[in-house]
Amino acid sequence: MKTIIKRELMDHLKSIQFAVLLVFSIVLFSANGIIFINKYNQLNSTYNQKMARLNYNRSTTHLYLYRKPNPLLFLAEGGDLDRPADYILRPKGQLSAIPPRPRDFKLPDIPKLDWSFIIKTIFSLYVILLGFSGISEEKEKGTLRLVLSNSFSRVRLLTAKYLTILAVTFVPLLVGFVINLVIFAIFPPQTLTVGHLSNIFLMLLLSMAYLSLFAFLSLFFSSLIPRSSLVLLVLLAAWVLFAVIIPDTSGILSQKFSKVPSEYQTAKNLEPFVQKEVWDRIQKIQQRINKGELRTEEEVRKETDQAFEEGQDKMKFYYKSYEDSMKQRTLLAQNLSRLSPASLFQYASEDIAQAGIHREEEFLKDSQNFSRIYDQYILKKVGKLTGVSGWSFGDTLTLNGKKIEIHSPEPEEYRGDMSDFPKFVELGPSLSLVLKHALGDIAGLILWNLALAVLAFAAFLRADVR
Amino acid sequence: MIGIIAKREILEYLKSAKFLIGLGITLAITIISTAINIQDFKQRQQDFMAARKEMKGTVFNVMLYRPPQVLSILVQGKDRILGNQIEMTYLDIPIRPSGYMGERYSQPQRSASGFGAVDFAFLVRVVLSLMVIFLAYNAVSEEKSLGTLKLVLANSVPRHQILLGKFLAGLTIVLGSLLTAAVLSVLIMVFQSFLALMASDWLRILSLVAASALYLITFYTLSLFISVAVNRPSIALMILLQLWIFLVVIYPHLGVDAAENFFRLPSDRELSQKQRAAFQPYQEEFKKVTEAYFKGDESKQTGHRYLELEALKSQKDYDVEEEFDRQLTRQRKLAQNLSILSPAVLYDQMAARYARTGIDEYERFMENVVRFWQTPYMELQKLRFENLEAYRKAQVPAFSSPAESTGDALISTLPQCVILFLLISIFFALAYTTFLRKDVR
Repeated sequence: MKTIIKRELMDHLKSIQFAVLLVFSIVLFSANGIIFINKYNQLNSTYNQKMARLNYNRSTTHLYLYRKPNPLLFLAEGGDLDRPADYILRPKGQLSAIPPRPRDFKLPDIPKLDWSFIIKTIFSLYVILLGFSGISEEKEKGTLRLVLSNSFSRVRLLTAKYLTILAVTFVPLLVGFVINLVIFAIFPPQTLTVGHLSNIFLMLLLSMAYLSLFAFLSLFFSSLIPRSSLVLLVLLAAWVLFAVIIPDTSGILSQKFSKVPSEYQTAKNLEPFVQKEVWDRIQKIQQRINKGELRTEEEVRKETDQAFEEGQDKMKFYYKSYEDSMKQRTLLAQNLSRLSPASLFQYASEDIAQAGIHREEEFLKDSQNFSRIYDQYILKKVGKLTGVSGWSFGDTLTLNGKKIEIHSPEPEEYRGDMSDFPKFVELGPSLSLVLKHALGDIAGLILWNLALAVLAFAAFLRADVR
Repeated sequence: MIGIIAKREILEYLKSAKFLIGLGITLAITIISTAINIQDFKQRQQDFMAARKEMKGTVFNVMLYRPPQVLSILVQGKDRILGNQIEMTYLDIPIRPSGYMGERYSQPQRSASGFGAVDFAFLVRVVLSLMVIFLAYNAVSEEKSLGTLKLVLANSVPRHQILLGKFLAGLTIVLGSLLTAAVLSVLIMVFQSFLALMASDWLRILSLVAASALYLITFYTLSLFISVAVNRPSIALMILLQLWIFLVVIYPHLGVDAAENFFRLPSDRELSQKQRAAFQPYQEEFKKVTEAYFKGDESKQTGHRYLELEALKSQKDYDVEEEFDRQLTRQRKLAQNLSILSPAVLYDQMAARYARTGIDEYERFMENVVRFWQTPYMELQKLRFENLEAYRKAQVPAFSSPAESTGDALISTLPQCVILFLLISIFFALAYTTFLRKDVR
């Protein structure tokens, strides 16, 4: 077995594929390192400026919460840069995201150059290029017959070929990883801590699990189809299917299959509500004034406050529904795309990099926990909690010829000492939570590996080598 | 003689398993992607029509809508992710569209993040270009390795005729596959009762097919050259696939990454500071006039001045945003220029232009929105301070944004066509000279 592995290794190491993969790996991982340091510097500097301002902007009406830049973004960006980093927290746990100013919408839509993209797209393609000829070419040349005429089992031969493909892919991968980490170590800011090494190690294992299934896939088709060029064609079709077609079509398909209302439907419900319901109620209050049912300003304000309060609650409900339906649609799209191992790898990478949808959920959870502390603080200082939706309403009513300015209730600002103002701390996910989130996707990748290993071995054991 | 060679080669191609597999994959992707994209377009079109009818806004708060493009079925481009709603008041000049939930709440990018598009342009850019490589990598190299090239050239057939025959045969197969996919896509579209294709749409589809043909011929001539230059077909295939990975995946990516990360854009804070500084000379007067207006000074003079100052503030804010937008455009052009030698990038630019789903069409639309705000909308707002009753009853002027004509689209994509044509000529000349000088022993 050692001899075969050694011979295969030498063949692969001398191949064009290996040389080019090594060059690409050095270029791409270096680019990733430089780009990430540049981006992280920008994000970190903006975050520090905002946090510094926060100390002077203590308020009992609203509070800005900022999401910390993620130092592991170079592993998998996971759409983090498109997600809001700034939020406004208002009393009664009303948290609104501030949409980030779009900065790259004019550029072509391409995935970010992170480790997950490099491995998911480029390395998987090279595993195919290294493995497609594993059996079929030997069959074409007739060398397979010769090899098997020795007392050497087919299982051991296929295992040797599989291990060689993985070993040959591992070399450029490791070189890339090391170059990347050296760049992080040399250039400021030194973002990575020892704690992050476990995430990086996990990413390395995950990458090998993902690349391993492409090695099995290549050997399966190589055992099944006698002509190498056809094997390669079929494998490239499978790669296009896994890496592009399934992940990309699931975004649109989720809209088709999703039962939650679309953005337009939610907006359609909201529009008449804003335009009519609140103002209709205010007009009815005016009619009651005219009929003499409401006689004092106090009575009028009590009625309008209630109308506005209920209006605000309903507004909050609509926005919450919108957030929920967007989230459900994204989750459905992700679940549909999980048919592809490339997506399983992508989402597991995002979890390991503490990015993506789970990172946002953790931040929201931390924010909601903090909102309770914030509410208690407001109660202590102001004595009451007033919830708002981010919208405010105002109008003028006439009572006995006198104009009354009415407006939706607004939280009260405390003017006294706020040195005991609570501080928001973003905890972020722990390693065990990261693993818990990624577990399903990792299990999926292992299943793919098992299924393809069985297929590859079965196809090779039954292959006619004549 | 060229005809005989071409005919024999075409028959060989048609009988080959790689052609049949490639065509099968092409047809399957064509049917699936077109059917999915039609359903998506239908939904977006319905939402757009309904929003235009049911969410018109008010005379003060006017809502405009960007229509989805019918050819986004073939080339999604930026059409799905840019948002369709524009909300305008005299307090703000609209800067960019949002989703239907409005600028403050809608975040179409969030749900779209990580999901791309599979469409006709993807089929050509990725699947058909790979198929072309598989068809052409062994056109000459296999004959050389099998020794049949020596036999063929032993006859009195000039070398250039053999190469031209092979070139024409490959070209026929490549263009035939492309036309099959295009006709199938268009047929699926034509049978949808809700879709009405105009004469200009047909012209644009033809332009798209022509651009696709240019792109595929570029890969075909490149493959032919490598096949001539390299003696072993397996080596030729490996070289071509590395080139494909570089030209289609890595090089365009690095171009965008370089432009995105090294073209410095001002921070949000810098932009806000610029906006505040631009309006600073008017701030004192604005404060006084606004106070007077909201305390009940209903004179025409105060109303007009208040409106003028609000409009001026909006204009100053907009000027800063517009400068930022111009910087984004310069960044995009830098990304394009850095990747100018990638046929895939050139093809993408042409396809999006013809389908009106690129950023150019979006910029044209937004220019018309701003013009609408500056003249008919602001004229209408003046009425508010002259005759409030008439203002309340007034109709919002109709907004239209004429799309780019096909002629203009063709002229604007001329540089991309010329570069692709040059690449084709260079690769063909290289293949031709290399073949004439090739040692066939």
